[in-house]
Amino acid sequence: MDPNQAVREGLPPLLPRLRRLARALAGQAADADDLVQVVMERALARAAQWRPDAALDKWVFAIARNAWRDELRARGRSQHLFAAEEAGAMTADGTSAPAQKLELATALATLPPDHREVVALVLVEGMSYSEAAALLQVPVGTVTSRLARARASLQSHLGKDT
Amino acid sequence: MNSIDEDTLQAYVDGELDAAATARIDAALAHDDVLARRVQQARALRAHVQAAFDPVLDEPVPPRLSALLQPPSPPAATAATPLATAAGRRGFGAGRRRAPRRWLMPTAAVAASIAVLAVALWWRPGDGLVHVHDGRQFAAGALSDALDRALASEPDPRAPIRIGLSFRGADGHICRTFTARARPPMAGLACHDNAGGWSLPVLSAAEKPEGGELRQAATDLPPDIQAAVDARIRGDAFDAQQERAARDAGWR
Repeated sequence: MDPNQAVREGLPPLLPRLRRLARALAGQAADADDLVQVVMERALARAAQWRPDAALDKWVFAIARNAWRDELRARGRSQHLFAAEEAGAMTADGTSAPAQKLELATALATLPPDHREVVALVLVEGMSYSEAAALLQVPVGTVTSRLARARASLQSHLGKDT
Repeated sequence: MNSIDEDTLQAYVDGELDAAATARIDAALAHDDVLARRVQQARALRAHVQAAFDPVLDEPVPPRLSALLQPPSPPAATAATPLATAAGRRGFGAGRRRAPRRWLMPTAAVAASIAVLAVALWWRPGDGLVHVHDGRQFAAGALSDALDRALASEPDPRAPIRIGLSFRGADGHICRTFTARARPPMAGLACHDNAGGWSLPVLSAAEKPEGGELRQAATDLPPDIQAAVDARIRGDAFDAQQERAARDAGWR
């Protein structure tokens, strides 16, 4: 199977997880789906670069993380300051404990991007530390320390009884 | 037993420790309430974060995303169906829809403008498919005929104009997407107006697929047309039966 076809056929089953990861990275549903769209377009355009011996999900998630980094860079610092307030718009479904979710969204929005992406990869997507490290191209120890600091920050925002 | 640092505790909660280290913490937990409390907190946080995002897995995928994955050259008979079906599942964010893609890829927007400009330069009224009146573009000739008569559910692979999806817009007018095999290949959105004609609010260069022939119908709409559809559509795109009924009713 040629890589284009393989990627095209491999993407649909990944979409729910890709959308979840994008939501964890971007916060707002609308931004997240814009991100997913860009990721899909890039994945299709770069299908030839995907080596079939590499897991497609990791490859796609790496594209997602890099695309989100590009977006943050493009937005620049000024807009980033509003992220915490905007995050109020994020809720996954709104059916249960919306206040708590909003709190979590706000807490996540205060994390630096380095920390937030580790939370998204490990806590939300469920990657191992070494998988996250490979995707981010940093040592495992860096993943561990970013995650520990992100946890401490979230914990302090959310209170002791999360 | 305070020898367990945060990193180790975190690794324990995340399942990153080997069996021996895990067993050591398991044993310590039994008689260390403070440690047990820290583990419980870290677990609760992880569960809390997961619970906030897992519902996304069960959300329907927005049609504009699934539409990107339509195969490049579907069999003619089904060309229009997948997008119509995908559009039928819309619902995610439909009520609070805003112009999509307001961020990311300003370059793409520039490229799209250039494409539109190129189209405007290429697509002379003399080509007979578009005429310009009062600064607005209208379908003419074979394009107008195809919009009046062709059904996406009964595509004619030899026809130079292919209809994608048809839907009723928020303003009550029926709109249809189309691609035209021409030089350069064109795609656009046509909306039926009260005078019985088709205005063309969006015209764009369609990408030419490999092989040089524009075989796709609605499945690979240029993003600006997809965005125009998203901005106008109210409810679902027509299925085959609704499309036929709309034609029989003169697209009113």
